Amino acid sequence: MTEPPQPRPAPPEPDPPGPGARRAAAPPVTVAVAAARPGGSDDQAGLLARLRAGDQRAFAELVDTWSPVMLRVAMLHVSSRASAEEVVQETWLAVVRQLDRFEGRSSLRTWAFRILENLARTRGRREARTLPWSSAFPGDGEGDGGGPTVDPARFRGAGDRWPRHWTDAGAPVAWEPPPEDAAVAAEVRRELRAALDELPPRQRAVVELRDVLGLSSDEVCARLALTPGNQRILLHRGRARLRARLEGLYRGRTEGDGGG
Amino acid sequence: MGEPRRVDGSGGDAVLEVACQEFVELVTEHLEGALPPAVERAVVAHLALCDPCVEYLAQVRATTAALAQLPPPTLPEPVRDQLLGLFGRLHPPSPGP
Repeated sequence: MTEPPQPRPAPPEPDPPGPGARRAAAPPVTVAVAAARPGGSDDQAGLLARLRAGDQRAFAELVDTWSPVMLRVAMLHVSSRASAEEVVQETWLAVVRQLDRFEGRSSLRTWAFRILENLARTRGRREARTLPWSSAFPGDGEGDGGGPTVDPARFRGAGDRWPRHWTDAGAPVAWEPPPEDAAVAAEVRRELRAALDELPPRQRAVVELRDVLGLSSDEVCARLALTPGNQRILLHRGRARLRARLEGLYRGRTEGDGGG
Repeated sequence: MGEPRRVDGSGGDAVLEVACQEFVELVTEHLEGALPPAVERAVVAHLALCDPCVEYLAQVRATTAALAQLPPPTLPEPVRDQLLGLFGRLHPPSPGP
């Protein structure tokens, strides 16, 4: 392999030190984590020296700390989790192979994330030919046609005394126990993970970045080149689908209990 | 769950009404603080009177809270092992720099 591909004009700072990064980096506050922070350049040099000296623990720590963020960044460009994993894997392979040639003009982190962005973009462009990511924005168009997010049958008709209000059967029922309760938390996580992976890519990307990673709407708009309005539409439709999935989960539980 | 009631204009300015079916499509903009003031007032007025919509809002919030608790994605273990193996081969431990 040659020098890592240089970034196109001015790539956005690939990885915000947002809440997700904080969460991902929670347990071991050591060299790799310090280097992941802005201003950690002294440790950065130490980290590079350790890697070049073959310190496998330092490398493992780096992989564990940066990979979660890398996966999310990759998912901005590619269409599936599997694709994102491959992009991150390729990135680490490039880092390992080119480590000795890395001149340290940028931080190790900036360098690694540039490689990632380039690989992810290239792959994303290839996938865009067959996937709807780059499609225009008719309502949001991603397979649900921009229609209502809640089944219209759950609301009263125009001739009713209270048109467009919930019917008795359609009204949402409180979730018991709540999703954070230990009795259901694991089931809720599984359901959400599966539901997220099934969302149309743009909805998934927005929900992942906003609600899972905790980025601000401004950051997400910048990342995905979305207007604030379109970002909200995608967030709205994605969240509505996920809420509906959890509702289905709770309904199934209740029926499983014999209607109680 | 009580019957939703009509909102009567009493504030002087034009009063908008939001029904449940509209509320569920406005909920994200409401949470984002992105609604025009008149619509936001109508949403708040609706929520004051409609328990099912309060529940719907609570469920959207519970969904986002649960999303925030999802574990960060990680590389599959075999991929991680392969990377560490390659690192070990290309950068064998050395006594000093």
